[in-house]
Amino acid sequence: MKKRLLPVAVLATAAFGLTACAGGSNGGDGGDVSAEGETLNVWIMEGTNPDSDAFFDEVGEAFTEETGAKLDVEFVQWADAHDRFVTSIAGGTTPDVAETGTTWTAEFADAGALAPIGDFVDDEGLGDDLVEGLVTSGTYDDELYGMPWYAGVRSLVYRSDIFEELGLEAPTSWDEIVAAGEAIKAAHPEMMAFAVPGDAEFGVYPWVWGAGGEVSEQDGDEWVSGLDSAESQEGIQFYTDLALKHGFSSAGATTWKETDVLDNFSQGNVAMALMGSWTPAAIVEKNAELEGKFAATPIPGKDGGIAPSVLGGSHLSMFNTAKNPELAWEFIKLMTTGEFAEQWGEQSGYFPGQQSLLAETMESDDPLVAPFATQLVDGGGTVPVTPKFGAVQAKKTTNTAIQAILSGQKTVEQATSDAAAEMNEIMNGN
Amino acid sequence: MTSTIQVPTSARGAESPRAGGGPVQRRSPITRLRPWLLLAPALAVLAVLLLWPLVRVFLFSLQDYGLREIVSGEPNWIGIDNYLEVFTDPTLWTVVLPNTVGFAVLAVAGTVALGTAVAVLMASLGPFWRTIVGSAIMIAWAMPAVTGTYVWVWIFDADRGIFNETLQALGLQDEPVNWFTNRYTFYAIVLLNVVHHGFPFVAITILAGLLGVPKEMLEAAEMDGAGPWRRFWRIIVPNLKQVFAVVIILSTIWDFKVFAQVYLMPGGSGSNREALNLGVWSYVESFGQNRYGFGSAIAVLLTLVLLAITVVYVRTMLKEEEL
Repeated sequence: MKKRLLPVAVLATAAFGLTACAGGSNGGDGGDVSAEGETLNVWIMEGTNPDSDAFFDEVGEAFTEETGAKLDVEFVQWADAHDRFVTSIAGGTTPDVAETGTTWTAEFADAGALAPIGDFVDDEGLGDDLVEGLVTSGTYDDELYGMPWYAGVRSLVYRSDIFEELGLEAPTSWDEIVAAGEAIKAAHPEMMAFAVPGDAEFGVYPWVWGAGGEVSEQDGDEWVSGLDSAESQEGIQFYTDLALKHGFSSAGATTWKETDVLDNFSQGNVAMALMGSWTPAAIVEKNAELEGKFAATPIPGKDGGIAPSVLGGSHLSMFNTAKNPELAWEFIKLMTTGEFAEQWGEQSGYFPGQQSLLAETMESDDPLVAPFATQLVDGGGTVPVTPKFGAVQAKKTTNTAIQAILSGQKTVEQATSDAAAEMNEIMNGN
Repeated sequence: MTSTIQVPTSARGAESPRAGGGPVQRRSPITRLRPWLLLAPALAVLAVLLLWPLVRVFLFSLQDYGLREIVSGEPNWIGIDNYLEVFTDPTLWTVVLPNTVGFAVLAVAGTVALGTAVAVLMASLGPFWRTIVGSAIMIAWAMPAVTGTYVWVWIFDADRGIFNETLQALGLQDEPVNWFTNRYTFYAIVLLNVVHHGFPFVAITILAGLLGVPKEMLEAAEMDGAGPWRRFWRIIVPNLKQVFAVVIILSTIWDFKVFAQVYLMPGGSGSNREALNLGVWSYVESFGQNRYGFGSAIAVLLTLVLLAITVVYVRTMLKEEEL
């Protein structure tokens, strides 16, 4: 109750303040906000787009032309972004609009720091044209707080040159993964056939879902983790067996994070791994020799089909300290729809959060774009949308389970039931 | 009330030679307050920068304080629940405390022993070689903890680290071993890292003390037939008692709250539960989950523990001094 009332109250106050100083700018119709002399403060994460400066210069010009207001963009490092949000929330110095990682939006909304934007979206009739997975992760307590901006997804990335050399096809089921792995291991013993990192939870969930299991589901008021179900255990057993039984991975990978997978793939040490749609550019940048020698394919389900993979990316969120919500919305709309959204996607290698734009990307025949797009549309999953799951991630519940299995400290049964118990405790705690 | 009288009295004692030691009662209140007035700016700065944050941390530790409380600014008192949770968590007793205390004891012993050995070596060197050795260990000291940690991680990397490759080349192990998954080998690597990073400070500090030990004393002892070992324990160590007290207390505090050197190691950021220490555990349990109240409770306890260690240590040092 309190959760929902607070942001609305603050928003109302902000709106009154606005009328007092801006002399009644009329909102609601959208598109004709006049905010001469105002400045909109925006935080954007650094590094997503290699050429952010030029991009935001253009956006700033278009924004000023449309609204008369100045745009002030500040770039924030991913690594300290969460701390900066928290400190600015504590000090009341939050920006008007900010890019929020998909897992943070619910957390900040729960804290009462964000303003709901569902009404703006409805007024524009945008509701049906947004990528579903991003809407799910941007919705908290039935209110939309995060405007889908861009999305990324992890799929199976493999060395197409090695596959060609050995006459292999991209795997479409679990058995084919093992078969391809055995062939690679025999022909290239110096390579890891399939990397199984022990400290990367998003590499785990596709196998859980692909076997028909669940991470955690809400049953009434209670969250029930499905990690210890027979299906989930089968998926995790298969995944960890790639390392333990088939020897496709390495001893070092037991403590790898996703960045280690990327580094080793770039160095040519890895033949197959789950990697994000944003990594191909980085791989080529790190090692130009690999250009054209790797491809992607959707993650296979157990007996074929596509195993869902966590859809990551960012929202644009409006903070409840925004002085002029209409103006803030104009910026959000400018960024997340139409020309600029498309341009951002092209430059950053992410997919746009607008369904109609995504459909255009789907038609691409780039072997490093189309499979990811297919995964995104047909196999995009979300981890439970609640700030409590953020706590589970902070405690590394899933990573701990996988690492314990890989290092031989626990069996799959032990590790998954411990993880499920811990997940339930955290997610149902106060 | 008593303190306001006591301190001016001692201050009077200090200025009495000049003032001629007039009776206290005749002094005006201004004169009595003068030391406090002079101290006031420094005390005010300390109160704002140190005391107030400490008080706040203590107040937070009595609340369930998360993001929502930060946004609303409303307190959310829960009494001593945070402290109860800390003390009833089995991880604290089986993993966190043994790791933290065991590591701190070994690290302090290692740092001080190696630092003293290097200091003794440097004291016996000529100016040229002393400069060379001094610069070399300064580099180890100047290296940021993050950089140093990554270097050690590379050395012990399972697949490509030089340590594993050497062992395999010597035929001592057949397959690569991931040294980061075992609690003891994990902390052995942290120990190397922390001792390597911490000993230069000890060496330089003790060297400064060593150079102040009167040469006559050492020569006299030598004349009386004391060997180097005996001279070290009977003359140098007692002379450097205060210096040792400082480096041991500082090292204990540093090694107790070691964080980056553990957090940045593979598996050290929480996915290897056996490797949690107090710093990482409190970070994962509190800041990672936005439970600032719980984190504050751990911080208060850590401060108390370190304070207790320091007090005990300083008191023993002072007592021995009096004998």
